[in-house]
Amino acid sequence: MIPGNKNNRDGLIFSLPFLIVFTLFMIYPLMYGLYISFFKYNILGSSTFIGIKNYISMFHDSKFYSSLWHTLEFVLITTPVLLALGFLMALYVNSKSPFRKAGENIFFVPYIFSMTVVSTLWAWLMQKQYGLFNHVIVSLGGKPVGWLTDPKWAMWSVCIATFWWTAGFNMILMSAGIRQISKEIYESAEMDGASYRQQVTKITIPLLMPTISLCLILQVIASFNVFGQVFVMTGGGPYGTTRVLIQYVYETGFQYFKMGYSAAMSYVLFIIILVSSLLLNKLGGKYDNQ
Amino acid sequence: MKTKKLLAMLLAASLATFSVGAQAQPETAAAKGPRVVTFWSLFTGGDGEFFDAIIDKFNATHTDIQMKTDTVKFDNYYTKLTAALAAGTAPDMVVIHQANLRNYVPNGQLLALDGYLSSMNAPLDDFVAAPLNACKTDGKLYALPLDVHPLIMYANTDLMKKAGITELPKTMDELLSDAKAIEATGNMGIACDNTTAVYKAYTLTRLFFSMIYQQGGTFLTADNSKANFNNEYGIKALTALQDMVNEGVTPKGLDYDTSVNTFKLGEAGFHFNGVWATGTFESAQDLHFTAVPLPGLLGKPAAWTGSHTLAIPADKASDPQLVKDTLDCMLWITAHGEMWAKAGHIPTRTSVQESEAFKAMPYRSGYAAAAASTVAPPDTAAWNEIYGTISDLLEYAVANNTDPKTALASMEKKINEIIATY
Repeated sequence: MIPGNKNNRDGLIFSLPFLIVFTLFMIYPLMYGLYISFFKYNILGSSTFIGIKNYISMFHDSKFYSSLWHTLEFVLITTPVLLALGFLMALYVNSKSPFRKAGENIFFVPYIFSMTVVSTLWAWLMQKQYGLFNHVIVSLGGKPVGWLTDPKWAMWSVCIATFWWTAGFNMILMSAGIRQISKEIYESAEMDGASYRQQVTKITIPLLMPTISLCLILQVIASFNVFGQVFVMTGGGPYGTTRVLIQYVYETGFQYFKMGYSAAMSYVLFIIILVSSLLLNKLGGKYDNQ
Repeated sequence: MKTKKLLAMLLAASLATFSVGAQAQPETAAAKGPRVVTFWSLFTGGDGEFFDAIIDKFNATHTDIQMKTDTVKFDNYYTKLTAALAAGTAPDMVVIHQANLRNYVPNGQLLALDGYLSSMNAPLDDFVAAPLNACKTDGKLYALPLDVHPLIMYANTDLMKKAGITELPKTMDELLSDAKAIEATGNMGIACDNTTAVYKAYTLTRLFFSMIYQQGGTFLTADNSKANFNNEYGIKALTALQDMVNEGVTPKGLDYDTSVNTFKLGEAGFHFNGVWATGTFESAQDLHFTAVPLPGLLGKPAAWTGSHTLAIPADKASDPQLVKDTLDCMLWITAHGEMWAKAGHIPTRTSVQESEAFKAMPYRSGYAAAAASTVAPPDTAAWNEIYGTISDLLEYAVANNTDPKTALASMEKKINEIIATY
């Protein structure tokens, strides 16, 4: 608000176009989703109110649990790796290396591709019989790996593709954070004889904590919402071992026509994401006022 | 006070914009020139180009009606179609798999065609009875069958010769021993996908389904209320699928694309797939193959089949001329089934099946004869979920070589649970 201007009118009017769109396309669908989660809801036909039955049947549905677990698995694998990768990339592009500018571009370029392009590309690279990776492995005398078809590998393969695709985004955020740290601190540290390693651990990381905690929350939310890569690369297979929760939500809603059940599962995921974001925010909150 | 006025004005302005948008739509109907029938095609695989050729021919030979297509990626087709039907923005003609009709007909989403067809004197008796009847619900016709596309067996004739095989296998035992002979030549015995990658391992499901019927069983009970495969039929069928891997003639972890490509490159002896792959294989150079109806590997011949049907959304009833035009297109397309047969699909009109053009094509007349022993999926709204679930479970049982009895018991439990939720 403009200091001294106690009238809310201007602010309201200026934000009105956004608010209308936001209400129509975000708030209303959100509320409607909650509403239909209490129905046996058929998008094309009639619906019957069934109370919290959808939520109850979820607890007896082994597919719900396994899908939720695969989502968690993805979150647990990708979050730390993507943060670490982003940080290392950010360190590199802020170092004195002559290739730092090129590095910045190379690291960020994958992020601008669409999910479908990235997933299709990696699905081909990792194809068991004709893919490039196995071609290299076999020509070096190894045995072909079922990157996407072996249950031991499939989830990791999807994660690897995701690392390549999205680490650049964290790099940009962290790199901006590193550039905000005052040069004088490094200079005086250097004069005192601090090594590069000491500078990173004693100056960069502590002063970067607000950015890191922001990245952490954004990353956890993004990872919980994983769907596209899995859907294109493995189709949830082999035999459902990479099926993530949003994929199951999609299948029940749009393929099996169980919209109400699908909405109920979305709400459970929503609450999980909300709670974990709040928790992380609380943990990271102490860095906010630096 | 002033704020409120301004808000109201803004609101009114935005409403006005919306209503102007709504009124602008019907304008196209008044436009001159040929009448337009719109539709979405779900054909993006090997058969897409053949369907486009049919549409091009239709448009070239008609001046009063023109068809306008929009191809939708198969993965999203039903999502998009469902949303469009709910919103009333679906195209005039829609392609729906026969097994999916059940998701739309009971909700009143599709137009009953009987009245229109009889007023047009449509040659309904020219349609083959089985696929036509599969489009009926409670005696009313909701779609016209475009094709039937059963599971069949492809065999590489060069590799058979190389392995000294003179006759196509007729039983599971013959298939396995022939496949071993082919393995001995350094090629893949049977290219049958058994793992999900871009596509689900549906061939396993289709074979399992077929093999139950080959032994005289049924997949679900007669009233579609329970699973009916947890018995010796199921055990034999699942064992047969596991044997292909256990006997070393099909590699573990083979996905659909690889199984098709391996056969296409001439590096596999046998291949199980729907008839739709025929056109693709025919276009492959240096591939000499034969394609035959699925042999009765575990008994009498019986094969899973799908069917593409053409239907009209119910809300098009407000424009009788449009419905008539759309039906004209549908009848023309089915009457030119020999063009669609180039992709491998079996036409549904007797006149096409008996035409010289169709009979002159390799394999196809054999397919048409096989249509007699095909089995369509059970008519239940739960089928989509059953089909997807059983695919995962069969894939698991084959990959882990699970004891068939244990595997079938858990499949039966799962399928019965699913049916109970519908």
